[in-house]
Amino acid sequence: MSSKKHHSIFYQGSIPAQKIADDIQKHSTKTNIGAHSIFLGQVREDVIDGEKVVAIEYTAYESMVEEKMAIIREHFFQKYALSCMHIYHSLGTVAVGEICLFVFTSSAHRRDAIDACNEMVETIKKELPIWGKEICNNQTTVWKQNN
Amino acid sequence: MGIQVLFFGSITDITLVAALSWEYCADTDTLMKGVLNRFPALANKKYFLALNQQVIHENAPLKQGDTVALMPPFSGG
Repeated sequence: MSSKKHHSIFYQGSIPAQKIADDIQKHSTKTNIGAHSIFLGQVREDVIDGEKVVAIEYTAYESMVEEKMAIIREHFFQKYALSCMHIYHSLGTVAVGEICLFVFTSSAHRRDAIDACNEMVETIKKELPIWGKEICNNQTTVWKQNN
Repeated sequence: MGIQVLFFGSITDITLVAALSWEYCADTDTLMKGVLNRFPALANKKYFLALNQQVIHENAPLKQGDTVALMPPFSGG
């Protein structure tokens, strides 16, 4: 279906809750869909050496992300019976408590949407050249490490 | 034209720039020798290379205009 169509996954700053609501609403006309699965990543208030994290600043090798995402997307549409898949990742500064990742998969039946969503979150963390720098209350910074 | 060298994430704490134009060299091993010579602190860093946006794990020949990126482990999401 929309496996060939892709656009930048990047969103400058935090992803507003209203955008997520609007994106859900847009799918009401796609009546072959019976299930949506959504993952939202939120910036956590970690404590590093006694200092609270206040924000994460994201940077990326943007053109490489686009190239990799096109391949990953193709693979997902082959593996799962998806009606559509939308992915947004923040760039720039996202404050604690705000949304930095939005993965939204849709399918006729729940299993494809749920499994694709879960696998996509893992793939994003593992495969995409994106880096997060945690900014602490006292202005010190620590490069984030994914588990 | 030479080689475009890109730095990302914590690597930029050492290089203080995101990109450099580098004099042409024959392969990535030769390039990295020069880069490490200029930024000795990189020797203690964990990173991998991408040649024209493809991750490489061993020495690769270079041609004029190629782009080599130094990427520390990813931490998106």
